[in-house]
Amino acid sequence: MEKYVLIALFAPLVGSLFAGAYAMKPKRLITGIVTSALLFVSFVSSLILLFDLLKTEEAVRVKLFDWITTGSLNIPFGFVADQVSVIMMVTVTLVSTLVHVYSIGYMEHDKGFNRFFSYLSAFVFSMLVLVMSDNFAGLFIGWEGVGLCSWLLIGFWYYKKDEPKEVNPSISPSWAANEAFIMNRIADLGMLIGLFIIYWHIGSLDYNVVFAHVNLLDIAIITMMGIFLFIGAMGKSAQFPLHTWLADAMEGPTPVSALIHAATMVTAGVYLVVRSFPIYSQIPNIGFYIAALGAFVAVFAASMALVNTDLKRIIAYSTLSQLGYMFVAAGLGAYWVALFHLMTHAFFKALLFLGAGNVMHAMNDELNIFKMGGLYKVMRWTAIFMIIASLALSGIYPFAGFFSKDKILEVAFDAQHYILWFMLWVGAGMTAFYSFRLIMLVFFGEERYKKYGFHPHEAHWYMLAAMAPLALLAIVAGFFEEPFEEFVTQLLPEYHVHIHGILAVALIGLTTLIALSGIALAVYKYSHGGFSPKWKETFIYKLLYNQYYIPVLYEKLFIEPYKELSKIAWKELDLRIVDATVDFIAGIIYKSGFAGRVVQSGNLSKMLRWMVIGLLILLVLVIVYSPVR
Amino acid sequence: MNHILSLLVFFPALAAVLGFVVNKENIRVYGIAVAAIEFVLSLFLWFMFDPSNGGFQFVEFIPLIPDYGINYQLGVDGISLFIIILSTFITLIGLISLTIEKNVKNMIISLLFLEMTMVGVFVALDAIVFYVFWELSLVPMLYIIGYWGSELRIYAAIKFFLYTFFGSLIMLVGMLFLAYLYYLATGTISFSIPDWHRLILPYDYQFWLFLAFFMGMAIKVPMFPFHTWLPYAHGQAPTIGSVILAAVLLKMGTYGFVRFSLPIFPDASVALIGPIAILAVIMVIYTAMVAYAQEDMKQVIAYSSISHMGVIVLGTFAMNVEGIAGSVFLMISHGIVSGALFMLVGNIYDRKHTKKLSEFGGLAAVMPKYALIFGIMTMASVGLPLTIGFVGEFLSLMGFYKISPALTFLGGMSIILGAAYMLRLYKLTFFGPITKEENKKLPDLNWKELTSLIPLVLVVIWLGINPNPVLKPINKSVENLLTLMEKKAITPKAKEILGHNKVELEAK
Amino acid sequence: MITLTHYLVLSAILFSIALVGVLRRKNLLMLFFATEIALNAINIAFAAISKYYGDLTGQMFAFFVIAIAASEVAVGLGLLIIWYKRRGTIDLDSLQTMHG
Repeated sequence: MEKYVLIALFAPLVGSLFAGAYAMKPKRLITGIVTSALLFVSFVSSLILLFDLLKTEEAVRVKLFDWITTGSLNIPFGFVADQVSVIMMVTVTLVSTLVHVYSIGYMEHDKGFNRFFSYLSAFVFSMLVLVMSDNFAGLFIGWEGVGLCSWLLIGFWYYKKDEPKEVNPSISPSWAANEAFIMNRIADLGMLIGLFIIYWHIGSLDYNVVFAHVNLLDIAIITMMGIFLFIGAMGKSAQFPLHTWLADAMEGPTPVSALIHAATMVTAGVYLVVRSFPIYSQIPNIGFYIAALGAFVAVFAASMALVNTDLKRIIAYSTLSQLGYMFVAAGLGAYWVALFHLMTHAFFKALLFLGAGNVMHAMNDELNIFKMGGLYKVMRWTAIFMIIASLALSGIYPFAGFFSKDKILEVAFDAQHYILWFMLWVGAGMTAFYSFRLIMLVFFGEERYKKYGFHPHEAHWYMLAAMAPLALLAIVAGFFEEPFEEFVTQLLPEYHVHIHGILAVALIGLTTLIALSGIALAVYKYSHGGFSPKWKETFIYKLLYNQYYIPVLYEKLFIEPYKELSKIAWKELDLRIVDATVDFIAGIIYKSGFAGRVVQSGNLSKMLRWMVIGLLILLVLVIVYSPVR
Repeated sequence: MNHILSLLVFFPALAAVLGFVVNKENIRVYGIAVAAIEFVLSLFLWFMFDPSNGGFQFVEFIPLIPDYGINYQLGVDGISLFIIILSTFITLIGLISLTIEKNVKNMIISLLFLEMTMVGVFVALDAIVFYVFWELSLVPMLYIIGYWGSELRIYAAIKFFLYTFFGSLIMLVGMLFLAYLYYLATGTISFSIPDWHRLILPYDYQFWLFLAFFMGMAIKVPMFPFHTWLPYAHGQAPTIGSVILAAVLLKMGTYGFVRFSLPIFPDASVALIGPIAILAVIMVIYTAMVAYAQEDMKQVIAYSSISHMGVIVLGTFAMNVEGIAGSVFLMISHGIVSGALFMLVGNIYDRKHTKKLSEFGGLAAVMPKYALIFGIMTMASVGLPLTIGFVGEFLSLMGFYKISPALTFLGGMSIILGAAYMLRLYKLTFFGPITKEENKKLPDLNWKELTSLIPLVLVVIWLGINPNPVLKPINKSVENLLTLMEKKAITPKAKEILGHNKVELEAK
Repeated sequence: MITLTHYLVLSAILFSIALVGVLRRKNLLMLFFATEIALNAINIAFAAISKYYGDLTGQMFAFFVIAIAASEVAVGLGLLIIWYKRRGTIDLDSLQTMHG
């Protein structure tokens, strides 16, 4: 089985290098095909591993060679395919294979075609390193690797120029890329500190060793570990307050948004918490804070999605909100539920994004949903897929989201955190509303695009074909809940929900009710002309539309002061004070040289005078210090 | 092969002297050939080096002035081995990439002479020999900056020379006094570094001597607030000067810490961890901010050098294997990465004769190969895993975490701020639309530039993925060093810190 | 009774006169005179102390000084004459070529 681990892991890398070899050449279709094929190979290997694991229940471990060895630290390149990582592998490789195929069509006219596939496959490789590593350092390699690929891919259209914030809230792809990278780095520092704590208290970064010894440690130390690792997770998973980069990351090509910023990379934080469950299950307090933050983000992000007019940003906020749901589950100890929602979410959110990509293509990269409408007529399949995805997202039976999201709400209720439950419940309503607001504005109603002179068309058949499996999974994935639970709880702790009977049915009913009413409200409102323009004047609308003014706040609070401080540090402190002090001291020495030059005038009588003065001084000194008296 | 070290030291110097008779057309080839032979020699040294032995190897000893304990004593251990290879490697790469036309013969001769002094510093086991090479290295650098530099070259060269010279004079006084103390303790004078390593000094002497050595090293590193000569030197020096200055000459300072300060003054080193770490943290954060504000490509990298050196200093004073080995590794990786970055800036300067950031933008479209290599080096500079930059930074910070989590956190800001200034540089240079008409026709890297850069890229990735061949010998020597320090420690604090520098699993 | 002190006082007075001469005079010839006076002041001290201790070394030294002074004057005056022929002056300030 070891060879399948290696094939699954390295096939994307080979593809990336292959495409990379053509990176500076004009478009070659072969790069897209080869990378997709290799990813399919990787997917098949992952499936083989999954079935093997189902049969044997024995994790497959592979050690390549030592990476860093020093002191008592030994970090090997070790990979493991256990219940959790196999689930992640299958999800990641499946979604990425489909996204690759889809991208062949989506990027067909882009001059960076080859480069795109190289980056995209490199991303998959990094993501696989992240989920397959058997130690925290390996995880960190993948963690930073996906960060790099995300930087490359957000900034893929690097040649676009910076726009003022009013024109484009993300300024430019390169700006958004840098923002994402730097913000992730802030979190990475936290994560690094977490690794240091683990190392200095346990002496290893290997999962097995760490998790075997963690319960021996002092609770304060475990708490610190948990907090710092979670800071790392907050960055990658764009949790408040490090969330602004995710919406701006939508500057990247849409397949990138589907793969990286919805299905896989952003869930790495959830994966980290799930993977580190032996740490987090020791510290339920921190778990509760994680859950509380998750619930907050779930509502917070959903509220921003309510009013946004940008097709991709709405979906991005929705991703943010769903990540919040996952963290609620993970924080409350229902690790398998978090993982389950992670998986189903990957399917339907990727589907949603790919659908959005089709729409963008049809609309010449227009993103404002108020310039669309009535697209159902020309883009039937895309519309159907997106409706399926939205239903799944809203948690309507029998779509996948119903099973996973409802479970999270149950968990919150069961843990007696009724406030969290209520927030998530409200969030579910908002989710349903904004999803169908988007559907209504894009696919139904008045055909506003005609005014702007667009000529939409349906996407290529193979792009739709690539979406079809996702659509299928978005419908049926939920029914795998029980085998899934059984499978992953071989590794993860089980979580028993104590709610049964009438209460459980009532909860499901309540959740479905608010989801359905959200949908109904959206459908009703936007088939009757939407909200009145006065709504746009209100404070709440502006607050939500401007993302609670948080980007502006960050700009004013951190970026600009940092720029100013840097300028001051350079021009005032470094040049005026530090350097000037040095020059001043040097100047004194120089000046005393000039001043002393008169002594060496060359005039004999002056020199004689100096001599006499010296003589007298010596005489006086002799008399004063004469030892004989 | 008993004299391989002498050969390593004096071969370039001899070749430099012979270089005077080589005619001008052939001097480049001659220089590259000499540097290549020297590099192969240093690789051979690595090949012969026994990684399981943490002590000094290939030791040579010729009495010079035995009455005063001054001897010609050379040797390498795991700590110096790779810095020597780094020196020869960077010199070779620098010579290949050399684009200077003006008086190229003198330049190549100076470079070969400089190579002798660099190798000499790292192989010297006698303080006087060390000092002689240390000071001699200033001379060719002074010439390189002062002759081939840009407008302010004289100011920059003199500042560089006088500033570092001033520091090393204080260090010299320290050395003389240390030899005198050795005389008091044993009855014979000795300038031999291994002898000094065995000397146990009272704490007060350690403290003042540590400060004397610190002045010499700190100015060389350069540590805040003694760093202001560096931006001028880099700003004015020709590309090759900056490459060697950043890659090798700065490492002399941190090497000095490891070679002199730690083993000779263990108690003072431990006692002064706090102030030095604070200086290092200031250095990391403050110069990273200054780097962010720069308007000139080269100055960004110059200040970034200072910032990274701060992390090296933190690792050096971590007092555990992880930290010190990490800092030695970071010296090497920073040498490679900053050298490469300066070379890349040189490439664009050759094309445009300006380094102003405002002159660029959108270069990724016209110079993709350049953008790719620059990108790899940028990522190595910000310490991305699987590049050479990560290993050292990770280990240095991890090591220092044992001493002080709070200061490590502040020092770790380097990974955030480093990303900020490097990505700003990258964005301003390579991203966005091409704003200047003349930039649309810039040629991409030519074969000569590629031959000098690709080896660096390979090293960056190879040692990023597999740093162990380098780390293992370093580990061994660092372990020896720490055992020595622990044995010598006299103050309770030093005993405490040096005795507990390993992982301890503390049960609840 | 003339004691050693008297001789030493005389020597000191003469030396002071010479010192003032060295300091104040600008004419090179006068400078020579002044140095001669200074040397002779020392000679007096030498001779007197030699007598006082009954040690002939001091008087011997006085002879040395006289001999050296004589040769010095011989060389010095030669140089002086050449200088005068070149420049037409033996003023001290005219000797200055450095500018401090």
